Amino acid sequence: MKRTGIIVSALVLLMFLMPASGQQLKKTSEQKGYKIGDVATDFRLKNVDNKMVSLSDFKSAKGFIVVFTCNHCPYAKAYQDRVIALNEKYASQGYPVIAINPNDPKLEPIDSFEGMQQRAKEKGFTFPYLLDDGQKIYPQYGASHTPHVFVLKKENGKNIVRYMGAIDDNYANPNDVSHKYVEAAVDQLLAGQPVALSSTKAIGCGIKTAKN
Amino acid sequence: MQSELSGVSKIKIYMKNLFVLLLSMVSFSALSQETSKSTTRPASHHKYTLKVVNFDQLQAVLKKNDNKLYVVNFWATWCKPCVAELPVFMEVNNLYQFNPQFKMILVNMDDAMEIDSRIKPFIAKNKIQMDVYILDDNKRMNEWIPAVDQNWSGAIPATVIYRNGKKLSFKESEMNKKELVQLIKNYL
Repeated sequence: MKRTGIIVSALVLLMFLMPASGQQLKKTSEQKGYKIGDVATDFRLKNVDNKMVSLSDFKSAKGFIVVFTCNHCPYAKAYQDRVIALNEKYASQGYPVIAINPNDPKLEPIDSFEGMQQRAKEKGFTFPYLLDDGQKIYPQYGASHTPHVFVLKKENGKNIVRYMGAIDDNYANPNDVSHKYVEAAVDQLLAGQPVALSSTKAIGCGIKTAKN
Repeated sequence: MQSELSGVSKIKIYMKNLFVLLLSMVSFSALSQETSKSTTRPASHHKYTLKVVNFDQLQAVLKKNDNKLYVVNFWATWCKPCVAELPVFMEVNNLYQFNPQFKMILVNMDDAMEIDSRIKPFIAKNKIQMDVYILDDNKRMNEWIPAVDQNWSGAIPATVIYRNGKKLSFKESEMNKKELVQLIKNYL
Protein backbone atom coordinates (compact mmCIF):
# COMPACT_ATOMS: atom_id res chain seq x y z
CA MET A 1 0.00 0.00 0.00
CA LYS A 2 2.76 2.35 1.01
CA ARG A 3 4.70 1.30 -2.06
CA THR A 4 1.82 2.03 -4.40
CA GLY A 5 1.58 5.43 -2.80
CA ILE A 6 5.20 6.12 -3.54
CA ILE A 7 4.86 4.96 -7.14
CA VAL A 8 1.74 7.07 -7.68
CA SER A 9 3.35 10.16 -6.21
CA ALA A 10 6.47 9.54 -8.28
CA LEU A 11 4.33 9.33 -11.41
CA VAL A 12 2.49 12.50 -10.50
CA LEU A 13 5.81 14.21 -9.87
CA LEU A 14 7.10 12.98 -13.23
CA MET A 15 4.00 14.29 -14.99
CA PHE A 16 4.73 17.71 -13.56
CA LEU A 17 8.42 17.56 -14.32
CA MET A 18 8.38 16.19 -17.85
CA PRO A 19 6.48 18.88 -19.75
CA ALA A 20 8.39 21.56 -17.88
CA SER A 21 11.78 20.20 -18.84
CA GLY A 22 10.60 19.65 -22.41
CA GLN A 23 9.54 23.26 -22.68
CA GLN A 24 12.80 24.43 -21.25
CA LEU A 25 14.73 22.51 -23.87
CA LYS A 26 12.65 24.00 -26.65
CA LYS A 27 13.18 27.47 -25.29
CA THR A 28 16.94 27.14 -25.15
CA SER A 29 17.13 25.66 -28.64
CA GLU A 30 15.08 28.60 -29.92
CA GLN A 31 17.49 31.00 -28.32
CA LYS A 32 20.39 29.18 -29.87
CA GLY A 33 20.71 31.28 -32.98
CA TYR A 34 19.90 30.93 -36.64
CA LYS A 35 17.91 28.43 -38.57
CA ILE A 36 18.42 27.75 -42.26
CA GLY A 37 16.94 30.66 -44.22
CA ASP A 38 17.48 33.25 -41.49
CA VAL A 39 19.23 36.55 -42.21
CA ALA A 40 22.71 36.53 -40.66
CA THR A 41 23.89 39.68 -38.96
CA ASP A 42 26.85 41.64 -40.24
CA PHE A 43 29.58 42.65 -37.81
CA ARG A 44 32.58 44.92 -37.44
CA LEU A 45 35.38 42.96 -35.82
CA LYS A 46 39.12 43.43 -35.57
CA ASN A 47 41.27 41.34 -37.87
CA VAL A 48 44.75 40.05 -37.02
CA ASP A 49 46.15 42.92 -39.18
CA ASN A 50 44.45 45.39 -36.79
CA LYS A 51 41.94 46.48 -39.43
CA MET A 52 38.21 46.24 -38.85
CA VAL A 53 36.35 43.80 -41.11
CA SER A 54 32.66 43.59 -42.03
CA LEU A 55 30.83 41.32 -44.45
CA SER A 56 29.69 44.47 -46.27
CA ASP A 57 33.34 45.18 -47.20
CA PHE A 58 33.19 42.28 -49.65
CA LYS A 59 31.19 44.01 -52.37
CA SER A 60 31.66 41.37 -55.05
CA ALA A 61 31.18 38.34 -52.81
CA LYS A 62 28.29 35.98 -53.60
CA GLY A 63 28.36 34.70 -50.07
CA PHE A 64 30.62 33.70 -47.21
CA ILE A 65 32.05 30.71 -45.42
CA VAL A 66 31.99 31.94 -41.82
CA VAL A 67 34.07 29.66 -39.61
CA PHE A 68 33.98 30.02 -35.83
CA THR A 69 37.35 28.65 -34.86
CA CYS A 70 40.17 29.23 -32.40
CA ASN A 71 43.76 28.47 -31.51
CA HIS A 72 43.48 26.07 -28.57
CA CYS A 73 40.92 23.47 -29.66
CA PRO A 74 42.40 20.26 -31.12
CA TYR A 75 39.40 19.86 -33.44
CA ALA A 76 39.78 23.42 -34.71
CA LYS A 77 43.51 22.89 -35.17
CA ALA A 78 42.92 19.66 -37.05
CA TYR A 79 40.80 21.62 -39.54
CA GLN A 80 43.08 24.66 -40.05
CA ASP A 81 44.68 23.40 -43.25
CA ARG A 82 41.28 22.44 -44.63
CA VAL A 83 39.95 25.94 -43.85
CA ILE A 84 42.90 27.43 -45.76
CA ALA A 85 42.08 25.07 -48.66
CA LEU A 86 38.43 26.14 -48.59
CA ASN A 87 39.43 29.79 -48.96
CA GLU A 88 41.85 28.95 -51.76
CA LYS A 89 39.16 27.09 -53.63
CA TYR A 90 36.15 29.34 -53.07
CA ALA A 91 37.34 32.95 -52.47
CA SER A 92 37.93 33.37 -56.18
CA GLN A 93 34.47 31.93 -56.87
CA GLY A 94 32.82 34.50 -54.62
CA TYR A 95 32.72 32.62 -51.29
CA PRO A 96 35.61 33.81 -49.12
CA VAL A 97 36.33 32.35 -45.69
CA ILE A 98 35.82 34.64 -42.72
CA ALA A 99 37.24 33.09 -39.54
CA ILE A 100 36.06 34.32 -36.16
CA ASN A 101 37.48 33.40 -32.77
CA PRO A 102 34.49 33.43 -30.39
CA ASN A 103 36.31 32.53 -27.18
CA ASP A 104 36.87 34.83 -24.22
CA PRO A 105 40.68 35.18 -24.12
CA LYS A 106 40.50 35.67 -20.35
CA LEU A 107 39.38 32.05 -20.04
CA GLU A 108 41.63 30.71 -22.78
CA PRO A 109 44.83 32.79 -22.98
CA ILE A 110 46.04 30.95 -26.12
CA ASP A 111 43.01 32.44 -27.86
CA SER A 112 44.11 36.02 -27.20
CA PHE A 113 44.34 38.52 -30.05
CA GLU A 114 48.13 38.19 -29.97
CA GLY A 115 47.77 34.40 -30.06
CA MET A 116 45.54 34.76 -33.11
CA GLN A 117 48.08 36.99 -34.84
CA GLN A 118 50.77 34.44 -34.17
CA ARG A 119 48.68 31.52 -35.44
CA ALA A 120 47.63 33.39 -38.58
CA LYS A 121 51.29 34.13 -39.32
CA GLU A 122 52.48 30.58 -38.61
CA LYS A 123 49.82 28.95 -40.74
CA GLY A 124 49.78 31.65 -43.41
CA PHE A 125 46.05 32.38 -43.16
CA THR A 126 44.86 33.92 -46.43
CA PHE A 127 41.56 35.07 -44.93
CA PRO A 128 40.49 37.42 -42.14
CA TYR A 129 40.80 35.98 -38.63
CA LEU A 130 38.64 38.15 -36.41
CA LEU A 131 38.17 38.34 -32.66
CA ASP A 132 34.58 38.38 -31.44
CA ASP A 133 35.56 41.00 -28.89
CA GLY A 134 32.88 41.17 -26.21
CA GLN A 135 31.35 37.93 -27.58
CA LYS A 136 28.37 39.66 -29.16
CA ILE A 137 28.37 37.94 -32.56
CA TYR A 138 28.66 34.20 -31.94
CA PRO A 139 25.50 33.97 -29.79
CA GLN A 140 23.48 35.62 -32.57
CA TYR A 141 24.70 33.00 -35.02
CA GLY A 142 24.18 30.27 -32.48
CA ALA A 143 27.72 29.00 -32.76
CA SER A 144 28.20 26.55 -29.89
CA HIS A 145 31.60 25.04 -30.46
CA THR A 146 34.73 25.32 -32.55
CA PRO A 147 34.97 24.66 -35.42
CA HIS A 148 31.41 25.60 -36.38
CA VAL A 149 30.69 26.75 -39.94
CA PHE A 150 27.93 28.95 -41.35
CA VAL A 151 27.67 29.24 -45.13
CA LEU A 152 25.86 32.44 -46.06
CA LYS A 153 24.46 33.37 -49.46
CA LYS A 154 23.92 36.97 -50.48
CA GLU A 155 20.34 37.39 -51.57
CA ASN A 156 18.96 40.88 -52.24
CA GLY A 157 21.73 42.42 -50.18
CA LYS A 158 21.08 40.15 -47.21
CA ASN A 159 23.25 37.29 -46.04
CA ILE A 160 21.03 34.24 -45.74
CA VAL A 161 22.10 31.17 -43.74
CA ARG A 162 22.20 28.23 -46.16
CA TYR A 163 24.34 25.72 -44.28
CA MET A 164 25.44 25.23 -40.68
CA GLY A 165 27.62 22.62 -39.08
CA ALA A 166 30.77 20.68 -39.72
CA ILE A 167 33.39 21.05 -42.45
CA ASP A 168 33.42 17.35 -43.32
CA ASP A 169 32.87 13.97 -41.71
CA ASN A 170 36.34 13.16 -40.43
CA TYR A 171 38.20 15.63 -38.26
CA ALA A 172 40.98 13.19 -37.44
CA ASN A 173 41.98 12.08 -40.91
CA PRO A 174 41.63 14.38 -43.93
CA ASN A 175 42.56 11.46 -46.18
CA ASP A 176 39.55 9.44 -45.05
CA VAL A 177 36.75 11.93 -45.63
CA SER A 178 33.60 10.67 -47.35
CA HIS A 179 31.43 13.80 -47.14
CA LYS A 180 32.78 17.30 -47.63
CA TYR A 181 29.73 19.06 -46.23
CA VAL A 182 30.84 22.67 -46.71
CA GLU A 183 32.22 22.09 -50.21
CA ALA A 184 29.02 20.33 -51.25
CA ALA A 185 26.92 23.21 -49.89
CA VAL A 186 28.95 25.93 -51.62
CA ASP A 187 29.06 23.95 -54.88
CA GLN A 188 25.29 23.62 -54.82
CA LEU A 189 24.84 27.33 -54.09
CA LEU A 190 27.22 28.23 -56.91
CA ALA A 191 25.18 26.00 -59.23
CA GLY A 192 22.00 27.79 -58.15
CA GLN A 193 20.70 24.69 -56.38
CA PRO A 194 19.29 24.35 -52.89
CA VAL A 195 21.67 22.85 -50.33
CA ALA A 196 20.75 19.18 -49.96
CA LEU A 197 22.33 18.64 -46.54
CA SER A 198 21.95 22.01 -44.86
CA SER A 199 22.75 21.10 -41.26
CA THR A 200 25.23 18.69 -39.73
CA LYS A 201 26.57 17.97 -36.27
CA ALA A 202 30.10 17.32 -35.08
CA ILE A 203 31.90 17.21 -31.77
CA GLY A 204 33.84 20.33 -30.96
CA CYS A 205 35.18 22.46 -28.14
CA GLY A 206 32.48 24.42 -26.37
CA ILE A 207 32.89 28.18 -26.77
CA LYS A 208 34.55 29.63 -23.69
CA THR A 209 32.43 32.24 -22.05
CA ALA A 210 32.39 33.58 -18.51
CA LYS A 211 29.40 32.34 -16.51
CA ASN A 212 27.11 35.15 -15.48
CA MET B 1 82.82 -16.39 10.80
CA GLN B 2 81.71 -12.99 9.79
CA SER B 3 80.56 -14.18 6.40
CA GLU B 4 78.78 -17.23 7.88
CA LEU B 5 76.81 -15.02 10.24
CA SER B 6 75.78 -12.72 7.50
CA GLY B 7 74.77 -15.78 5.49
CA VAL B 8 72.48 -16.93 8.28
CA SER B 9 70.96 -13.51 8.72
CA LYS B 10 70.41 -13.36 4.96
CA ILE B 11 68.41 -16.59 5.16
CA LYS B 12 66.49 -15.21 8.12
CA ILE B 13 65.60 -12.08 6.19
CA TYR B 14 64.68 -14.20 3.19
CA MET B 15 62.38 -16.41 5.31
CA LYS B 16 60.81 -13.37 6.88
CA ASN B 17 60.18 -11.79 3.48
CA LEU B 18 58.73 -15.03 2.17
CA PHE B 19 56.41 -15.21 5.15
CA VAL B 20 55.22 -11.64 4.61
CA LEU B 21 54.73 -12.37 0.93
CA LEU B 22 52.74 -15.56 1.64
CA LEU B 23 50.66 -13.79 4.24
CA SER B 24 49.82 -10.94 1.89
CA MET B 25 48.95 -13.40 -0.87
CA VAL B 26 46.57 -15.29 1.41
CA SER B 27 44.90 -12.13 2.67
CA PHE B 28 44.69 -10.70 -0.85
CA SER B 29 42.98 -13.81 -2.22
CA ALA B 30 40.59 -13.74 0.72
CA LEU B 31 39.83 -10.14 -0.04
CA SER B 32 39.26 -10.71 -3.73
CA GLN B 33 37.03 -13.69 -2.93
CA GLU B 34 34.99 -11.45 -0.74
CA THR B 35 34.83 -8.91 -3.56
CA SER B 36 33.47 -11.40 -6.02
CA LYS B 37 30.92 -12.66 -3.52
CA SER B 38 29.46 -9.32 -2.56
CA THR B 39 27.06 -7.48 -4.85
CA THR B 40 28.68 -4.15 -4.23
CA ARG B 41 32.33 -3.69 -4.90
CA PRO B 42 35.11 -1.96 -2.99
CA ALA B 43 36.45 0.71 -5.32
CA SER B 44 40.09 -0.19 -4.88
CA HIS B 45 39.89 -3.80 -6.02
CA HIS B 46 37.63 -3.55 -8.99
CA LYS B 47 38.96 -3.68 -12.49
CA TYR B 48 37.35 -1.02 -14.60
CA THR B 49 36.54 -1.29 -18.25
CA LEU B 50 38.52 0.71 -20.76
CA LYS B 51 37.36 -0.09 -24.25
CA VAL B 52 37.28 1.42 -27.72
CA VAL B 53 33.76 1.16 -29.15
CA ASN B 54 31.67 2.35 -32.08
CA PHE B 55 28.31 4.00 -31.48
CA ASP B 56 26.28 0.80 -31.79
CA GLN B 57 28.49 -0.95 -29.24
CA LEU B 58 28.16 2.06 -26.96
CA GLN B 59 24.37 2.00 -27.26
CA ALA B 60 24.39 -1.64 -26.17
CA VAL B 61 26.30 -0.65 -23.03
CA LEU B 62 24.15 2.36 -22.13
CA LYS B 63 20.73 1.08 -23.05
CA LYS B 64 20.45 -2.09 -21.00
CA ASN B 65 17.14 -3.27 -19.62
CA ASP B 66 18.49 -3.79 -16.13
CA ASN B 67 16.63 -1.10 -14.15
CA LYS B 68 19.90 0.71 -13.53
CA LEU B 69 20.18 4.45 -13.83
CA TYR B 70 22.99 5.11 -16.31
CA VAL B 71 24.65 8.47 -15.83
CA VAL B 72 26.77 9.02 -18.91
CA ASN B 73 29.28 11.83 -19.32
CA PHE B 74 30.82 12.69 -22.71
CA TRP B 75 34.27 14.19 -22.23
CA ALA B 76 37.81 14.44 -23.59
CA THR B 77 41.21 14.99 -22.01
CA TRP B 78 41.71 18.10 -24.16
CA CYS B 79 38.39 19.63 -23.09
CA LYS B 80 39.02 22.04 -20.22
CA PRO B 81 35.47 22.28 -18.83
CA CYS B 82 35.19 18.48 -19.06
CA VAL B 83 38.37 18.00 -17.07
CA ALA B 84 37.19 20.65 -14.62
CA GLU B 85 33.94 18.80 -13.91
CA LEU B 86 35.47 15.29 -13.77
CA PRO B 87 36.21 15.49 -10.02
CA VAL B 88 32.51 16.28 -9.48
CA PHE B 89 31.52 13.15 -11.40
CA MET B 90 34.08 11.06 -9.50
CA GLU B 91 32.86 12.40 -6.18
CA VAL B 92 29.21 11.79 -7.03
CA ASN B 93 30.05 8.32 -8.32
CA ASN B 94 31.68 7.58 -4.97
CA LEU B 95 28.42 8.55 -3.29
CA TYR B 96 26.27 6.23 -5.39
CA GLN B 97 28.55 3.47 -6.65
CA PHE B 98 27.35 0.94 -4.09
CA ASN B 99 23.76 1.44 -5.14
CA PRO B 100 23.05 -1.56 -7.41
CA GLN B 101 20.61 0.58 -9.39
CA PHE B 102 23.25 3.16 -10.30
CA LYS B 103 26.00 3.13 -12.87
CA MET B 104 28.17 6.00 -14.04
CA ILE B 105 29.99 5.71 -17.34
CA LEU B 106 32.48 8.03 -19.00
CA VAL B 107 32.45 8.25 -22.79
CA ASN B 108 35.76 9.59 -23.99
CA MET B 109 36.01 11.61 -27.21
CA ASP B 110 39.77 11.69 -27.59
CA ASP B 111 41.39 10.24 -30.66
CA ALA B 112 41.31 6.46 -30.02
CA MET B 113 44.84 6.25 -31.44
CA GLU B 114 45.97 8.05 -28.27
CA ILE B 115 44.72 5.37 -25.90
CA ASP B 116 48.20 4.46 -24.65
CA SER B 117 49.95 7.77 -25.09
CA ARG B 118 47.28 9.99 -23.58
CA ILE B 119 44.06 8.39 -22.33
CA LYS B 120 45.49 5.64 -20.11
CA PRO B 121 48.02 7.96 -18.44
CA PHE B 122 45.27 10.52 -17.83
CA ILE B 123 43.02 7.91 -16.19
CA ALA B 124 45.87 6.66 -14.01
CA LYS B 125 47.05 10.13 -13.02
CA ASN B 126 43.57 11.29 -12.08
CA LYS B 127 42.70 7.95 -10.42
CA ILE B 128 39.49 7.60 -12.39
CA GLN B 129 37.67 4.56 -11.03
CA MET B 130 34.87 4.21 -13.53
CA ASP B 131 34.21 2.39 -16.78
CA VAL B 132 35.54 4.47 -19.68
CA TYR B 133 34.43 3.80 -23.25
CA ILE B 134 36.40 5.53 -26.00
CA LEU B 135 33.91 6.35 -28.74
CA ASP B 136 35.73 5.85 -32.01
CA ASP B 137 33.12 6.63 -34.64
CA ASN B 138 34.24 9.93 -36.17
CA LYS B 139 32.72 9.57 -39.55
CA ARG B 140 29.22 8.99 -38.23
CA MET B 141 29.14 11.97 -35.83
CA ASN B 142 26.36 13.52 -37.84
CA GLU B 143 24.27 10.41 -37.17
CA TRP B 144 25.04 9.69 -33.57
CA ILE B 145 25.09 13.22 -32.14
CA PRO B 146 21.39 13.78 -33.00
CA ALA B 147 20.70 10.16 -32.00
CA VAL B 148 21.96 10.93 -28.49
CA ASP B 149 19.87 14.10 -28.41
CA GLN B 150 18.25 16.31 -31.04
CA ASN B 151 19.37 19.41 -29.14
CA TRP B 152 23.00 18.43 -28.81
CA SER B 153 25.15 20.88 -30.78
CA GLY B 154 28.18 18.63 -30.44
CA ALA B 155 29.88 20.68 -27.74
CA ILE B 156 31.25 18.78 -24.74
CA PRO B 157 30.89 18.17 -21.86
CA ALA B 158 27.44 16.66 -22.23
CA THR B 159 25.64 14.37 -19.80
CA VAL B 160 22.87 11.91 -20.56
CA ILE B 161 20.82 9.77 -18.19
CA TYR B 162 19.21 6.51 -19.30
CA ARG B 163 17.19 3.79 -17.68
CA ASN B 164 16.04 0.66 -19.46
CA GLY B 165 17.05 2.14 -22.79
CA LYS B 166 15.01 5.30 -22.27
CA LYS B 167 16.65 8.70 -22.15
CA LEU B 168 15.54 10.55 -19.04
CA SER B 169 17.73 13.63 -19.27
CA PHE B 170 20.21 15.40 -21.52
CA LYS B 171 22.41 18.32 -20.55
CA GLU B 172 24.95 20.07 -22.75
CA SER B 173 27.12 22.03 -20.34
CA GLU B 174 29.31 21.76 -17.30
CA MET B 175 27.66 20.69 -14.04
CA ASN B 176 28.50 21.36 -10.44
CA LYS B 177 28.01 18.80 -7.67
CA LYS B 178 24.68 20.18 -6.53
CA GLU B 179 23.22 20.11 -10.05
CA LEU B 180 24.44 16.58 -10.73
CA VAL B 181 23.21 15.19 -7.40
CA GLN B 182 19.83 16.88 -7.88
CA LEU B 183 19.56 15.41 -11.37
CA ILE B 184 20.35 11.91 -10.11
CA LYS B 185 17.96 12.25 -7.17
CA ASN B 186 15.18 13.11 -9.63
CA TYR B 187 15.43 9.64 -11.10
CA LEU B 188 16.95 7.37 -8.47
